[in-house]
Amino acid sequence: MEEQRRKSGRWGYIWPMWMTLLLHLLAIILFTTGFLLTRTELPYYSHCTDLSNSPCFPPSPNNNGSCWTKPSINRLVIIVLDALRFDFVAPSTFFAESKPWMDKLHVLNNMSSSRPSSARIFKAIADPPTTSLQRLKGLTTGGLPTFVDVGNSFGAPAIVEDNFINQLFQNGKKVVMMGDDTWTQLFPHHFERSYPYPSFNVKDLDTVDNGCIDHLFPSLYEDDWDVLIAHFLGVDHAGHIFGVDSTPMIEKLEQYNNHLERVIEVLENQSGPGGLHENTLLVVMGDHGQTLNGDHGGGSAEEVETAIFAMSFQEPLSSVPPDFDSCTCQTDLDGKNVCISSMQQLDFAVTMSALLGIPFPYGSIGRINPELYALGAGSWKFDASQKLPEVDIWMKNYANALCINTWQVKRYIDAYSASSAVGFSHDDLSRIASVYAQAEDHWLHSTKKLLLDRHNDSDVLVPELKRQIDAYFKFLTTVAELARSKWTEFDLKMMGTGIGIMLISLIFQLYAILRPTKQHDVNLSSSSGNSSIITSSIFTIFLLAIHSFSLLSNSYILEEGKVVNFLLSTSGIVALRQSVIKEKLLIESIGFLLLSTLCRFAIEVGLSKQAATSAFMKDYSSWIANIASDLLVWDYASKVIPMLVLILLAFWLYKATRCGFFDWPRKYVILGTILSYMLIIVHWITDSDGFGVALTAESIGRNYIPRIVYAIALGQLFLLSFGQLFKRNCLDCKTNLVAKTTAMLSAWSPTVILLSGKQGPMIAFASIVGGYCIMRLDNIEESNKNRPGRSFSIMQWSLFATCLFFCSGHWCAFDGLRYGAAFIGFEEFSLVRQAILLAIDTFGFSIILPVFGLPFLVVTKYQNNLGKHLLFTQLSQMYTTYGLITAVISTFTILCVTIHRRHLMVWGLFAPKFVFDVFQLILTDILICLASIYYFDQGDDDLELKSSDC
Amino acid sequence: MDRRKKDSEKTPASKASVVEASPAISASEVFTVNLLCGVGLALSLWVANTIYSINLVTDPSLTLFIISIIELPIVILLYGRYRQNRQRCSYLRAVGRGILGVPIGALLNSLGAIALGAPVTFQHLAKTLNWSLMMSLFTIVPASCVLGSSWADWKRIFAQTKPNGSIEYLICLQAYGAVIGGWFGAWPMPLDWERPWQEWPISVSYGTLSGYLVALVASLGFVLAHRRLQHVKKD
Repeated sequence: MEEQRRKSGRWGYIWPMWMTLLLHLLAIILFTTGFLLTRTELPYYSHCTDLSNSPCFPPSPNNNGSCWTKPSINRLVIIVLDALRFDFVAPSTFFAESKPWMDKLHVLNNMSSSRPSSARIFKAIADPPTTSLQRLKGLTTGGLPTFVDVGNSFGAPAIVEDNFINQLFQNGKKVVMMGDDTWTQLFPHHFERSYPYPSFNVKDLDTVDNGCIDHLFPSLYEDDWDVLIAHFLGVDHAGHIFGVDSTPMIEKLEQYNNHLERVIEVLENQSGPGGLHENTLLVVMGDHGQTLNGDHGGGSAEEVETAIFAMSFQEPLSSVPPDFDSCTCQTDLDGKNVCISSMQQLDFAVTMSALLGIPFPYGSIGRINPELYALGAGSWKFDASQKLPEVDIWMKNYANALCINTWQVKRYIDAYSASSAVGFSHDDLSRIASVYAQAEDHWLHSTKKLLLDRHNDSDVLVPELKRQIDAYFKFLTTVAELARSKWTEFDLKMMGTGIGIMLISLIFQLYAILRPTKQHDVNLSSSSGNSSIITSSIFTIFLLAIHSFSLLSNSYILEEGKVVNFLLSTSGIVALRQSVIKEKLLIESIGFLLLSTLCRFAIEVGLSKQAATSAFMKDYSSWIANIASDLLVWDYASKVIPMLVLILLAFWLYKATRCGFFDWPRKYVILGTILSYMLIIVHWITDSDGFGVALTAESIGRNYIPRIVYAIALGQLFLLSFGQLFKRNCLDCKTNLVAKTTAMLSAWSPTVILLSGKQGPMIAFASIVGGYCIMRLDNIEESNKNRPGRSFSIMQWSLFATCLFFCSGHWCAFDGLRYGAAFIGFEEFSLVRQAILLAIDTFGFSIILPVFGLPFLVVTKYQNNLGKHLLFTQLSQMYTTYGLITAVISTFTILCVTIHRRHLMVWGLFAPKFVFDVFQLILTDILICLASIYYFDQGDDDLELKSSDC
Repeated sequence: MDRRKKDSEKTPASKASVVEASPAISASEVFTVNLLCGVGLALSLWVANTIYSINLVTDPSLTLFIISIIELPIVILLYGRYRQNRQRCSYLRAVGRGILGVPIGALLNSLGAIALGAPVTFQHLAKTLNWSLMMSLFTIVPASCVLGSSWADWKRIFAQTKPNGSIEYLICLQAYGAVIGGWFGAWPMPLDWERPWQEWPISVSYGTLSGYLVALVASLGFVLAHRRLQHVKKD
């Protein structure tokens, strides 16, 4: 066996890791296809002629260009302001506290207070995920886009489902689009004209908006379109970069206010009889909200609450019948009364379709919103033959529109359950069917007759209509609720297989860990340390079990940072006890405990940022600057201290590597790192204005220095792998391993530190100290040097790595990604490059450095050189253990999402956590594989060393 | 906070404990000591409940303080009687050591709690203080009454968990019981049940108290079992 292993060279050590990687990949692909598999998109489209199948009235034939409902507007101007929070639009009197960003779009308030019947503000509730692409999809299809689309968000594919834009296109309406280029990706062939601008460069606040403005105003004077869409991105970008409470944000809002004033003025001027905008509806809306940090994607109230402002330039009927009015009114700052209604974003597509008189999108499950629909009522030419009051006529029309709406939704539900294998459950379907039957019954037997009979007076008609509308509401609400709760379709078989393979991989990893131990027991027979191994393993398993089981609860996932830190401190206390027993390394263990206490405070700052309390939202890249940012001294210190720490790190590295065993390629690597550190310091000095260094060539420095750092890092990695190929080491393998590890870590560190921002040096410092303490404490028992089970320190290593993830201000949600880091050194967006930078920022301290630094734990174990074989066996065992710990935690996350797949927070909390953990697992596996290739040499000198040793 | 019981490593046990063993105490005495501690606890909870009409949930700070105040004399006076080196150390001195142990123990306990994540904001200061006072009475104070400043004994009992004789069993088990109970008591805190008792330090105090009570019973059992074992050995 030994002979075989030696012959097989390093592949003997490496193959279990590759095998694990393959197993994990397979398991995760299977599970993900099952879990993130979603709503089936039906390839059906609504057509004009379909209406003959419905029990409802077709529109009177003299209305040309329309086919489902009676059109009430001719033209539609949709202005989308990305990430428009509800409190940007609503007057500040609606909120407990007035904030600086409120009341900036006052033109909307003025309009809705001065003309309450023709202009109205809605609070629009979006459905998560609240990313722009998903929301645009939801707005246009009237359906519920699902989580899997988030993955497509970067490469926006065209919408294949039936949607509002498609219906416009099919029915000969001309659509003009300007702004965010996501629209052209979603609807590549549907626009008459389009002026797209790139949307991913978040640092650029103005290009898209200015482009929009340039084309918006000329277009308003033209008559070659029916629907105009202008999508502004400035507020979203300002939020991402500066947060909501910032000057750029307020400037943006004020700018929008001016533009909107002009738009309303232009439309107003041409709204006279026969004018260009006689029958135009203006809609100003957000696609989703944002948190105070400027993040969005999840399901928190701040993110899902956005606003829709709609205004028609006709004088519509006096008011909506109060039964259908959901508004709440408040006086605004000027003492005028402002009313705000509430609606679901889901209802947008169908309401707009009904207003324009085009067929409703096939898959829409929204309902026509009465208040929004009423805004178009002014254009109806009421025929004199009817002696009903306006309101009742409106109600008649609305009832008929709802009839069509209900019929269309029911048709979709039927088609969906027929074509999809796992649709709605039988109970739900029969419940829907009975509610539908009730409504239809009422329609056919009473309302329809009443409507056909033209000589009713309103006393008879109105109560019937009201009852009818209520019945329709009931049906539509039931469907929407059902769809919300059940929309995702999980493929349990696939998920089960994935979990099964994951479990097999765990068993395999366990086997890979235990196998060399068995072989070594024969050789070393280190039975003396057995009991301590067992207790330390039991304790490791205990910690791991707590951490894993904690992932089954949403509260613990939310506070995972604290949980991990609790466990880390516990392990620190156990280590302290151990060192008290041995009466040595007391400083290290106390230091480790102190470090974990410090981590704890850092994590708390991170958590409070996650909770988006107002104190921690200013700077996305550094929490240090946020502590007491009002004090000038602190402000200054927060700039200087990171640099000092970085200089210290550079000095440290220099001192540590001065001794002889660093030969040529590594020496250059270390020098490169020190150079990079200096460059980072220069970069920070030029980047901050606090030093009074007013550099004219600021923008050059801002981009070139980071790029040089990246280039140096790439060069270093290249050099290391190159040296790997050609060098035959003249050193003994232990020293060699130390040199290799140091070189590798120093090659990675500048990039990681640069991307982490000002907190980077501190965290790097903390990780060095923590790593050193774990390393030393691991050596506490010298009685059995060859102890193979070192699981406790590996567990500490992994807990510490997880702590660092949270310390550096991340958390497991998409709004926890620091998008700003992806643009350090680059202004423009390129998917692969920015994704790599973002990954390095997110996982730099928590995966990349710990995995590459793991050999330190092996190396310090041995005072003398025990030979390559033993060393490498230990190292591979260690890597497998580390991989196993990560895999166990990921397995529990997977189990957790399986158990909670119907949980309220599944898309808001569990699914992001799942994505993060899976990514973490795969990244760890890949890095372990790479590290193993890098660290394990071909075993040439094994024999001699072995003989000299034994 | 968790000085988890681990079987000690293979190193030779406590060389230092030969000095002078603490006085032997009978099983009935152990029973009385534990009973008095338990009764003191019950009394303080009763006082808080009936006289001040508060409990741990409504006013954790004051309740913890009442517990500390009532337990303090009981613990110090009781354990002072079992001091080591009776010849060289008077009863008063043992009591003095115990009183000195209170702030030190409180400091150690609060540091441990903070390392594990206890809040440090100003409005939690009183709670943390009172909680660590109580913890000190359960963990450090009895030991400081009995052991004094003998580092070797402290190490042997708390780090190596090798208590020697009945009174040391009491000290060791009760301290571990309180600490481990508190450690487990911290678990429900992050859950989103939104119950008032999830606040710091209420659930931790509950954990501590129940751990301590369990340890009271367990230590009695241990002492009895230990005694029987020794009898059997002698036979």
